[in-house]
Amino acid sequence: MTDVKNSRKEPTWLGKSLAGALLGLLLAFILMAFFAWYGPGGIDARDKVQFNMWMIPLLWLSIFSLTYLFNSSKQAWLILGGLNMVLYSLFYILRGGL
Amino acid sequence: MRVRPDILRTYQGVHTWTGIIAGLVLFIGFYAGSLTMFKYEIQQWAEPISVPVTDPKSTNYQALIDKAIEQYPAQMAAGFELDLLTSDAPLSWYTQGQARGMELDNQLQTAHLHEQQLVLNEQAEHKLADLIDYLHRTAGFIGEIGHDQSGVYILGIAAGLYFLALVSGVIILLPTLVKTFFALRKEKGPSRFWLDSHNLVGIASLPFHLIIAFTVVVFAFHDLIYGGLAQFYGDKPLFERTPPAAQAYNISELTPIDTQILAAKRYAPGYEPIHVSYNALSSTSPSALFKMSNKNAVSRGPDTDYLAINPYSLEVLYTSYPQGEDSFWGNFTASLFSLHFGTYGGDWGRWAYFIMGLFGAFLFYSGNLLWLDKRMKKDAHKTSTHVMAKLTIGVCLGSILAVVAVLLLAKWANLLIGNINHHYMLCYYLIFFISLAYSFKQGTNKASYNGLITLSILTACLPISSAIQGLSDLALLPYYNGYSVDFIALIFSAGFFFIAKRLKQKSVKDKIILDHKTIEFVR
Repeated sequence: MTDVKNSRKEPTWLGKSLAGALLGLLLAFILMAFFAWYGPGGIDARDKVQFNMWMIPLLWLSIFSLTYLFNSSKQAWLILGGLNMVLYSLFYILRGGL
Repeated sequence: MRVRPDILRTYQGVHTWTGIIAGLVLFIGFYAGSLTMFKYEIQQWAEPISVPVTDPKSTNYQALIDKAIEQYPAQMAAGFELDLLTSDAPLSWYTQGQARGMELDNQLQTAHLHEQQLVLNEQAEHKLADLIDYLHRTAGFIGEIGHDQSGVYILGIAAGLYFLALVSGVIILLPTLVKTFFALRKEKGPSRFWLDSHNLVGIASLPFHLIIAFTVVVFAFHDLIYGGLAQFYGDKPLFERTPPAAQAYNISELTPIDTQILAAKRYAPGYEPIHVSYNALSSTSPSALFKMSNKNAVSRGPDTDYLAINPYSLEVLYTSYPQGEDSFWGNFTASLFSLHFGTYGGDWGRWAYFIMGLFGAFLFYSGNLLWLDKRMKKDAHKTSTHVMAKLTIGVCLGSILAVVAVLLLAKWANLLIGNINHHYMLCYYLIFFISLAYSFKQGTNKASYNGLITLSILTACLPISSAIQGLSDLALLPYYNGYSVDFIALIFSAGFFFIAKRLKQKSVKDKIILDHKTIEFVR
């Protein structure tokens, strides 16, 4: 893109795309994992596994597409990465393993 | 609404590139998806007119099944199909191939009763409807990965990009949305008009598009996502399986068909069985899958709801019906299926989805044109722009041309050839690649005009063929029921002709986008 040169801030789509694709997917999984165990109905609710599966791509794509709102790709990696670290650790502690 | 300029630019880049990468594939997926709304009607249209051999109201299914089991116990035990609405032979089983998967060589043994005698007919399974569906799900990419076509995964990825394109498209519109939503500015030149209509269609059908994008990702990758989700379930199994019976059943003890139908009807009022697929009847886990139709309810399959029972014990194994209060989750996901399949609004819903699908195809086509226009104005000599222009015309027109040619082939060759499924494939790819090559050789201007004219003529040939075939054997004409397909084909033929004429008539200064003459001209 040619108008990038005259802009104050460069659009940083590559770093953000990677963050959205990878960290967004991990985040979608862990969010639905929490929902599966601790959300309404718990782990044994009938047919809930289908809902959980369906929501993962929806969450992922939503996070992915909004990742570009971060100020920089570094910020995207830090915030999404940090969230993942916290949630995965919490899940590990609560459930004693993945 | 204000969005920071650099973020806006990032989203512009995301929108452009996701759209350009995924647009052409999705174009095919969308217009073929429109056709799948009426794929059975289209297949029926293509089949030779035949005199009914049975009357579904008076057929004695029990006698038919008993006779077939008596004479062909092994074949029937392996599994058979029973159609409860057809006026052709209601019973059939596969002598080659199976129902699942995309196999073109399936052979069917059909059976009906004539004066208490079993009448058998061997025929190749007609796959036109399935091939339309195949084109919709794979955009024509051949090859298999695991138990799915590779094209399914390609469309899955394209749908993911499409979701990004939708969100980014909305975000870049936000600053000007209120001002220009309903504006279709013709006076500012064709490119502005195309941009306005691209935006109008995109925003107006946004919910439909978001649903389609995300359900396609699920359809393509559900196995992988379940695999990932299983990691978080620990020792819990994702699904519970019905344990098989201790002893194998014997087909001679099959519950009478009327009792089965009654059991299926009793399960929920308002649902009528229209088709039953029996499977593995002499095993420990036999099943009878009922296609259940209820015109007044939302259905969760592509055409109907499903109810699987054990045909001996009549125990319900699986159902796609809305369940009671305790199954909020199942009901929720089931409705997502019907939102993709467009099976929640009866025939009006099907027409609405047909039109929305075509609008979707327009969205990708116009998006490509806008990109081309912008690039042309910046640098008219860039090779990549020219390649993309030729690809856009070649792929879009080529794919539609190929489908119409296949329909025409179906209409005529079905009279002559036993198994025509391979010819369909050959015909599709041949026409598609010839159109693509023509577009690259002759340039977009000539290719789009000639392509549209050819398309208009071929489409007009569809009802003409029906007329010739119908009039050549007047005795069969009363049984013909493809009039609606013929009528729609006529409308489309006129539409293609009109667009082609417009391309020719446009004055030179208008030729910015719609006509690709500028592309050739600037060269």
